[in-house]
Amino acid sequence: MEFLLENILNLIGFIVGIIIGVFAYVGYKNTGSPVLFRLTIAFIAIGIGFGIIWAGYVIDDIYLQEGKINRGLQALGLGIQTIGYFFIAFSHTIKSFFPKSRYFRSVGILPLFALSAMNIEHIIRSFSFILLVYGAIETFVSFLEGKQKGTLAVGIGLALLAFGEFIAWYSLVFPESILYSVSILLKISGLISLFIPISRLPLRKIKFDDFEDNEDEKFGR
Amino acid sequence: MGIYRKQIQIVGDILYAAEELTIDQNGASITRLIQKANISHSRISKILTNLVSQGLLEQVDSRRACKYRISMTGKDFLKEYRTFSEFTDNFGLTI
Repeated sequence: MEFLLENILNLIGFIVGIIIGVFAYVGYKNTGSPVLFRLTIAFIAIGIGFGIIWAGYVIDDIYLQEGKINRGLQALGLGIQTIGYFFIAFSHTIKSFFPKSRYFRSVGILPLFALSAMNIEHIIRSFSFILLVYGAIETFVSFLEGKQKGTLAVGIGLALLAFGEFIAWYSLVFPESILYSVSILLKISGLISLFIPISRLPLRKIKFDDFEDNEDEKFGR
Repeated sequence: MGIYRKQIQIVGDILYAAEELTIDQNGASITRLIQKANISHSRISKILTNLVSQGLLEQVDSRRACKYRISMTGKDFLKEYRTFSEFTDNFGLTI
């Protein structure tokens, strides 16, 4: 059951991520907006991350038949997803994510070499959780200012993904419980919620010429 | 605190103003566009020349003053601009 749910989640994540990423890329090509560029990287990374994990499950199902995904592959997929979540959070003007000091940077990387793939997976999940919570809070703040339903749907989507990530991380304590399945269902709901406002937008491409000058103008209001 | 607009937003605002003000075939005057799009005269002249050369605006010759109206391509652009603007709005971001 868990295996099937994981397959469904990762397939949905792959499809939703790639569709939103391509849409953002079309927007970036047409407008030159750096925000759309960051969203392109974010959602393509999220899509690829889910895609890698899905491929891992498919490979296991067809060839290996061990009933579990390769932990290294799972960590890789989750890591790429986290890059995507980082770019969503970064779009909300995270100025510096890593410590500026060269010493702290080197110390921060050290544990990655001393831990197993299983531990890395849970560290990545905790990073994803933090980034998703940040993105969700910023999106909810924007909703309170603009009162747009689409913003609310995206905020709920990010919050559900964050909650799902938290439950998945917490399931480490109770590995055989229903928690992991609940986390998968939460994440599927989150992805669907993310996709709802995007699905309402017309997905067609039109080519425009050079409006890529991002020179700003100040208006004293 | 001042509010900053990116170039693409200024273009969007000018096209939106031109669309709003093009109620007949005569088009909108520069003064009306300046008021509606909230932009300086020196800035708008350069952008209008660019938009006309790109085919997004059409220049209408009038006896007293030069006027501008939005072209079909301009309307398409504005539609797409709104779409992507809405897309980024959904993420609580500005295009």
